Amino acid sequence: MQKSFFRRIKEVLGHDSAAASDLAARFLDFQAVLDGNNRTLEAMTEMGEKLGGDYLFDVNYTRSAYAALFAAISDSLRHFTLLTDNQYPRLAEVLARIDGLVQRMLTGIEPISSRLVVFYPEITWDMAEEVGGKNYHLAELANTLQLRVPEAFAITTAAFSDFFCHNGLEERLEGLGSADDGVLAELRGTILAGAFPEDFTASLASALETMRLRLGRDGKLAVRSSAEEEDGDFSFAGQFETVLNVPCTIEAVQGAYKQVVASLFQANAMSYQRQLGYDPGKLKMAVGCVAMIDARASGVIYTAAAGKDRGRMAISAAWGLGPGVVDGLTDADLYTVAKEEELRLAERRIGAKAQMVINSGGDGVETKETPVELMGRACLGETEILALAGQALAIEKYYKIPQDIEWAVDNTGRCYFLQARSLRMDESAAEATAKNIEAVPDSYPVLLRNQGVVVQRGTTAGKVFILHHIDELEHIPKGSVLVARHDSPHFVQAIPILNAIITDIGVPTSHMASICREFNIPTVVNTGSATEVLQHGQVITLQAGEGSEVVVYEGIVQSLLREARRTGAKLRELYEFRRQKYIMRYIAPLNLVNPLEQEFAPEKCKTVHDLVRFMHEKSVQALLANAGRKRRGLGGLFWHPGALRRLTLPIPVQMQVIDLGGGLRGDGAGKVTGFAEVTSVPLRAVLAGMLAPGVWQNEATALRGVDLLSGMTRAADLAGEGAAVLENVALASSVYVNMSLRFGYHFNILDCYCSETPRNNHIYFRFVGGAAAITNRSRRIALMAQVLAEHGFALKAKGDLLVGRISGQSRQEIEGILEQIGRLIGYTRQLDARLDSDEMVNTLARRFLAGDYRLAP
Amino acid sequence: MAKHSIMVIDDEKIVGDMAKLSFEQDGYEVETFLNGEAALERLQEKRFDVVVTDMKMKGMDGLEVLRTVKKLYPGVKVIMITAFANLDVAIEALRDDVHDFFPKPVKIKELKASVKRALGEE
Repeated sequence: MQKSFFRRIKEVLGHDSAAASDLAARFLDFQAVLDGNNRTLEAMTEMGEKLGGDYLFDVNYTRSAYAALFAAISDSLRHFTLLTDNQYPRLAEVLARIDGLVQRMLTGIEPISSRLVVFYPEITWDMAEEVGGKNYHLAELANTLQLRVPEAFAITTAAFSDFFCHNGLEERLEGLGSADDGVLAELRGTILAGAFPEDFTASLASALETMRLRLGRDGKLAVRSSAEEEDGDFSFAGQFETVLNVPCTIEAVQGAYKQVVASLFQANAMSYQRQLGYDPGKLKMAVGCVAMIDARASGVIYTAAAGKDRGRMAISAAWGLGPGVVDGLTDADLYTVAKEEELRLAERRIGAKAQMVINSGGDGVETKETPVELMGRACLGETEILALAGQALAIEKYYKIPQDIEWAVDNTGRCYFLQARSLRMDESAAEATAKNIEAVPDSYPVLLRNQGVVVQRGTTAGKVFILHHIDELEHIPKGSVLVARHDSPHFVQAIPILNAIITDIGVPTSHMASICREFNIPTVVNTGSATEVLQHGQVITLQAGEGSEVVVYEGIVQSLLREARRTGAKLRELYEFRRQKYIMRYIAPLNLVNPLEQEFAPEKCKTVHDLVRFMHEKSVQALLANAGRKRRGLGGLFWHPGALRRLTLPIPVQMQVIDLGGGLRGDGAGKVTGFAEVTSVPLRAVLAGMLAPGVWQNEATALRGVDLLSGMTRAADLAGEGAAVLENVALASSVYVNMSLRFGYHFNILDCYCSETPRNNHIYFRFVGGAAAITNRSRRIALMAQVLAEHGFALKAKGDLLVGRISGQSRQEIEGILEQIGRLIGYTRQLDARLDSDEMVNTLARRFLAGDYRLAP
Repeated sequence: MAKHSIMVIDDEKIVGDMAKLSFEQDGYEVETFLNGEAALERLQEKRFDVVVTDMKMKGMDGLEVLRTVKKLYPGVKVIMITAFANLDVAIEALRDDVHDFFPKPVKIKELKASVKRALGEE
């Protein structure tokens, strides 16, 4: 023990200047990461706004705006790599892939991959264009959501291009705009008679061999279209051919492939493409080869019952294969499931189902009379219905919009998903909600006007839900207007059910703001007083226009809602507009939400926003860890004269302050400094709290024998490495503090960035230890947790360890919270020995929050 | 009353398409052109109330379009949009009696307001 202590001192002193300059450099890197992230978020916000449909822009604009964004995120990544000693090399790969995808969108150049066939498990997040929308989503259900999807592979758009090239069809696609039915029929004929390039046949044959191994010799496939945007923003429902029950032979699958591809040029499909702004002949089609399920029953789920409220889902079911339901061949069962806290079967209408579609003995399918014993019988039992509904809900939650899902149950009762796509609602959510709220007032008093910043424009109505704690998110009713003090990326989990978000405080570039824009949720932040002015349960109409054109009416203003529906509906039908807007898919969505989850990893980053979020969180951690290491060797910390000074305070706390720049006033010639010389905003705030009158507990506390023993045995493990040289130390700059305080047997670590830019700001607070028995120590943790939760901290507590973090607050708010933490540090110093009951925890927490620091019962 | 007609000239299709869609929503009649030459040809056949033109295009540029329109059809208002906004071009356009001048990306709402002013609707 002694030996290691001296060795450590020697090590630290021996590396004085290196350690010092290293920390200074890292702090600069940290600031550069924040700066790069900010510029990235600003560029992202700007692009989102300009590409959102309110501006006329050209491709040059998109190029230059993206170039600025890419430069900013690259800067950020460069400094992040230095700050973290290249601990996350995967991030550079992710950025390169994102850049590749965006460049492809900007230039219209084909995907680089030349793979002709890809099995579903190999389909990754960046392959949407190659495998088409339908394959992509189905693979995502299996790969990401771990739902059961039949064995399947995709024939890519690269294969499609090869096939067309091989048959000299490329030229024929030019000038298809004016093609009449005769020309189209001739083209389809050529496709059906087309030959396959050798590579294509070889890849397909090898994939079919694999399929035969997995499905058995008699395995059959469904050969289905998967066009570029199919099942994405547009369903293409029923536009293309699907060939069912195809044997796993090269001849049969090639025949089916040609049938499916030829259907791209059917008259109906061509007019649909024109409507979506595709130049005729431009759309490429991938194809899916999906194992046929010998379905006992199959059907469709709408996770939001169309035309009704979003709180119910509708499941239709028929005996046999899917066409029974999707093609409306039979009078199917209809089950309605209420999406309540626990899913509930709300309604069951059993159809006659006079006919059913089955696999015919050979190839293809046939429609036959339903056997008498099955007619009029429910296809699914309640347990099956609820299980299916649960999985469907998971899909909706993942995509964050209601889904239209195809499913099938086989004879062993296993349920497979065959398709999932966005459900286009007949009515806007706003109107649906409006209809469900019965009382419509006659007049519309204005509750808020021109307060706050509009993040996402729109007009909508709903009931106000005032959120006090993050936990309440689970209880928000569908169609609510969420009103909260602060914005938070946690709100993403409620977004599928929200009509609007209004906050008192917030910025239009926050993570939450991006999410709201992505999902078109009308959102207003920074209103100052929404939580005070609006009442929980009140029915309101929100009209969010440009900038700060905000009006909140009491009641439902039908005329406004109708107006909102009429405008801006057709822009998404312009192909080039969508293409430019799709670039934002690789930029704006935020997948990494909770840093405490395992998913918070470099390989889970899919967008620029994810990278920003990841780097921000890990930069804070890296700085914290580094500051912790350096703190232990005081000799290595000052790199300019006067950087290290002893702080004298009118409370019994000795503290060393290391000035990282702008943290202390004066040159520090005296090496001793007082509170008045502290210019670091966060350090000053926390000290002000510690110095607040009545807070500092000086009374001698009677430790019982058991407490003393506990304290003595814990001293060593609490102190951890290097504790012998550990003092109360604060590393401080004008906007940053990292301080470590030790009082007897417990430790506080506080890390805080407190600048004028709210999204840069964070507080990390860690408290551990104590001399009293563990029950008392845990009670102290419970008390601190109550206080911090009140300020919106995300907390983790275990035994006598408490970790809390909060971010995104304004400078003023951070200062306020730091003062409270300062008070809490002083107040709880010897509190554990006195906390004899759980009731006392609640009493003292309430008192503390009310500014009453008395300990007496 | 007959619909007011607007001509949009921009060598990037997306600009014309978006403008057409936006103005048609407000009840205007809109035709789009990818170059100045084709647009001027069309002007010989049909009268437009307002011409919205990009500045920098292959072939005839926006200033040339402006001058020609003003010379041949003095009553027609011309609004210019450009990604390369600079003062010199703006001054030159003003001299040639441009009705309005916007940098790209231009807010559709502002462009609509400008068209309304050009038509004396506001």
